[in-house]
Amino acid sequence: MKMTPTVIIVGILSLLTAITLVVIYWPYTHRVTAPSEIFRNRSPEEEAGRKIYLANGCVYCHSQSIRAFDWGHGAERIAQAGDYLGDEPIVLGSERTGVDLSQEGGEHPDDWHVAHFMNPRNTRPSSIMPPFEWLGMERLTTLTRYIQSLGLKNADDRMQRQRFFKQHAVRAFEAGPVENVRWLASEIPEGWHQIPNPYPTSEASLQRGHKIYQFFCIGCHGPIGDGMGPAQPWIYPPPLNFTLLKGRKLSGGILYYQIMNGITGTAMPYFKRELESQKIWEVGNYVAVYFINQSDANQEPRGIDSSWEPGFNLKQKSADD
Amino acid sequence: MPNHGPENLSNRNRTAEAFTLTSAFWFAAATSFGLIAAGYLIAPDFMANIEYIHFGRIRPMHVNAVLFGFVTPGLLAAAFYYVPRLLRTRLFSQRLGVFNAVFWNITIAYGMIAISTGHTQAREYAEFPWVVDIMVVVCFVLAVFNILMTVRRRKEPILYVSIWYVCAAVILTSITYCLGNVIWKPDTGALQGIPDAIILWFYGHNIFGLLLTPLALGLAYYVLPIATRSPLYSHTLSLLGFWSLIVVYTHIGAHHLLQVPVPTWLKTISVVDSVAMVIPVMVFLINIWYTVKGKLGEIHSDIGAKFVFTGTIYYFFVNIQGSMMALPYVQRITHFNNWVVGHAHIGVLGFAGLLALGGLYYILPKLTGRPLHSRFLADMQYWLVLIGITGFAIDLTTVGLIQGNAWYNGETVYRILPEIHPYYVLRASLGVLIVIGAYTGLYNVIRTLYFNRGAKS
Ligand code: HEC
Ligand code: HEC
Ligand code: HEM
Repeated sequence: MKMTPTVIIVGILSLLTAITLVVIYWPYTHRVTAPSEIFRNRSPEEEAGRKIYLANGCVYCHSQSIRAFDWGHGAERIAQAGDYLGDEPIVLGSERTGVDLSQEGGEHPDDWHVAHFMNPRNTRPSSIMPPFEWLGMERLTTLTRYIQSLGLKNADDRMQRQRFFKQHAVRAFEAGPVENVRWLASEIPEGWHQIPNPYPTSEASLQRGHKIYQFFCIGCHGPIGDGMGPAQPWIYPPPLNFTLLKGRKLSGGILYYQIMNGITGTAMPYFKRELESQKIWEVGNYVAVYFINQSDANQEPRGIDSSWEPGFNLKQKSADD
Repeated sequence: MPNHGPENLSNRNRTAEAFTLTSAFWFAAATSFGLIAAGYLIAPDFMANIEYIHFGRIRPMHVNAVLFGFVTPGLLAAAFYYVPRLLRTRLFSQRLGVFNAVFWNITIAYGMIAISTGHTQAREYAEFPWVVDIMVVVCFVLAVFNILMTVRRRKEPILYVSIWYVCAAVILTSITYCLGNVIWKPDTGALQGIPDAIILWFYGHNIFGLLLTPLALGLAYYVLPIATRSPLYSHTLSLLGFWSLIVVYTHIGAHHLLQVPVPTWLKTISVVDSVAMVIPVMVFLINIWYTVKGKLGEIHSDIGAKFVFTGTIYYFFVNIQGSMMALPYVQRITHFNNWVVGHAHIGVLGFAGLLALGGLYYILPKLTGRPLHSRFLADMQYWLVLIGITGFAIDLTTVGLIQGNAWYNGETVYRILPEIHPYYVLRASLGVLIVIGAYTGLYNVIRTLYFNRGAKS
């Protein structure tokens, strides 16, 4: 084959044309145009927030694309072509230095996001996301509107839930500590109230609890558990001051449930994705021992002791029965 | 074997010089940006809240400066040197060429300012806003024109394989750049929904496949046979390698979208033909490695050829790795994490970047008619960059495996941040080596070009 300029130019151009027709033009003309069941158009403010998202390279750390085998944020629903109809440009992302944000809307209330944007270490002590304080409150509010719209109709449902419980939480908080603690507990299924922490307190378990606390909780509840962590100025109702809980019959079960499930409507996130059972009991007990100064760890009823627990007195046990 | 054109020292090749300088400069700038970005991943509150350089801005600045400021001009510098020589003629217009290089720098600088001030289109490799896009296209079209006109004036009837690759790279990129940047929609530079992802990755992939790779292969085809004084192993393989590259590379961009709702047939094609990429790759490598067989001594003694040859080894790795990553089962682990970042660095720095540097060092003595300012510094840069990129490859692949396996088994992103922290520290440290290498190179290039009167090598 003799490679003349004509052969090269005509050859490469024809190949490119043919390939473009097949892999670009054909998929374009056969694109999905039907909206998915969650699709809605974004409001102008959400659209403006999206511009801030684009201008600041959020896309280099955050994907918006849920896969069949994901576990994390938004994994309840796999992405469909019809979700993206309004996206120009589409921001699927190629790296998850941070989490997927497809379904971020309503995951947290607005105040959590503001505290987080001000400095992500406020709410997430080991985060490596850049702070966006420099955007200023106005743009942060707009950006938050976009973030709260992610997931579209699904996000709207979640936001409705956030707003509903936010009202209750604020009312309870403003009614004073006694009423607040009562309300917080009242939303928890009755069974959990009766459950003490089934595991004994030990030096090692407190140390582990401490580590978890540093890694997940300190930004809000603060190093001494008084709710004055760096996130506090932006959060309302503010992070709970644990020292108020003494003598209010807070069982280990209540602590466990709150940490596992979070308190929707407040900035208190759920931790069931990030902490296994042992870690939740241990951070709960750490809070109880050090900040509330009152722990029901290892009280009856505690069931059959787990096989790892130290100390078992057969005679004692037989005498009990 | 390439033909040696007549040496014409009185007529300096200012175009090649200008592109050399461009490349060396942006190498230093781009790696500095990269180092800042790496720093942010270690200490996000250090230099925080500076709008113009926070992570979300500095990262695309780094990527674009590497691709369009360092590697492409570097490979073009060599092309502007060897194209006229292989055609036994002079470059069509030195004036146009120098203008092209100057305009190139203005374009990249403008693009950097745009991204840094938030005027980005937020599409990977297509971040530059519309005005800059037009300027980039002008840059490429000027190069196409200058090169094609040189081809027209040639005194050598046979077009050597390097010429094919250079022509294909600049012509096709002029087109794919317009397509990928959706240049007919100035305000967003994007389509809507899933088709936007498809066209973006068609383009993004072709930045590697139809720009960096052909320019780099053209360079290898020129430098290695001459440096080893060996005839090219096979003309047939050159042909096969060239056409299979154009056919296969062009249509597998959807392997970036395997986990996204794009049509299944498109994914299938991209997976199958990503594996078929071994054809153009191995054909080239067999051809070039057989050409230099038994001549490692010659390669070792020519710093330019040393860079180029090392780059071809990385070419082997990046493509084997790429073909594996295109397999859906593998991608469940490797997608979305630092594994891909590792691959990107192996490809763009380990392969295309090393070749670009090799090109610069190969042509510099020929452009100036004097030896390099310092062979020692060039060797030092070789080792700094080589250790840096090899370290990157190991480090980022490891991080990627940690992330990918953890996520696949239900760990959250946040939980493993502390676990990968030390690897980020190592990565930034290796980055320091590369940055030092880049500045060393810049110094050496400037000294060789402008302050080298009578210096010994
Ligand atoms: C350096 C990468 C990086 C950049 C850039 C970045 N983020 Fe993040 N982001 C993270 C990481 C890591 C996390 C997880 C830890 C945390 O919650 O802070 C995160 C978490 C988040 C979360 C909380 C998710 C949740 O519910 O836990 C939101 C919302 C978010 N980012 C939004 C943004 C927005 C909006 C931008 C752009 C203005 C942005 N991020 C830029 C890395 C980044
Ligand atoms: C983003 C801030 C934030 C973080 C992080 C956070 N909390 Fe909270 N927490 C709150 C807020 C706000 C409340 C509820 C305040 C209110 O409604 O009065 C709360 C309430 C609680 C309660 C409820 C007590 C009750 O009486 O029902 C517990 C227990 C608790 N947090 C424990 C934790 C633990 C343990 C962690 C870490 C694993 C943690 N929190 C992390 C903000 C946070
Ligand atoms: C046989 C050849 C190759 C194949 C099959 C291949 C395959 C792939 C695949 C599948 C991805 C996507 C990974 C993911 O997102 O999960 C990818 C990404 C990438 N490749 Fe390659 N690759 C090849 C060669 C190269 C070469 C030669 C270069 C550089 C010159 C390169 C540069 C990149 C870059 C920069 C990315 C990152 C894209 C991003 O930002 O997400 N690749 N490659």
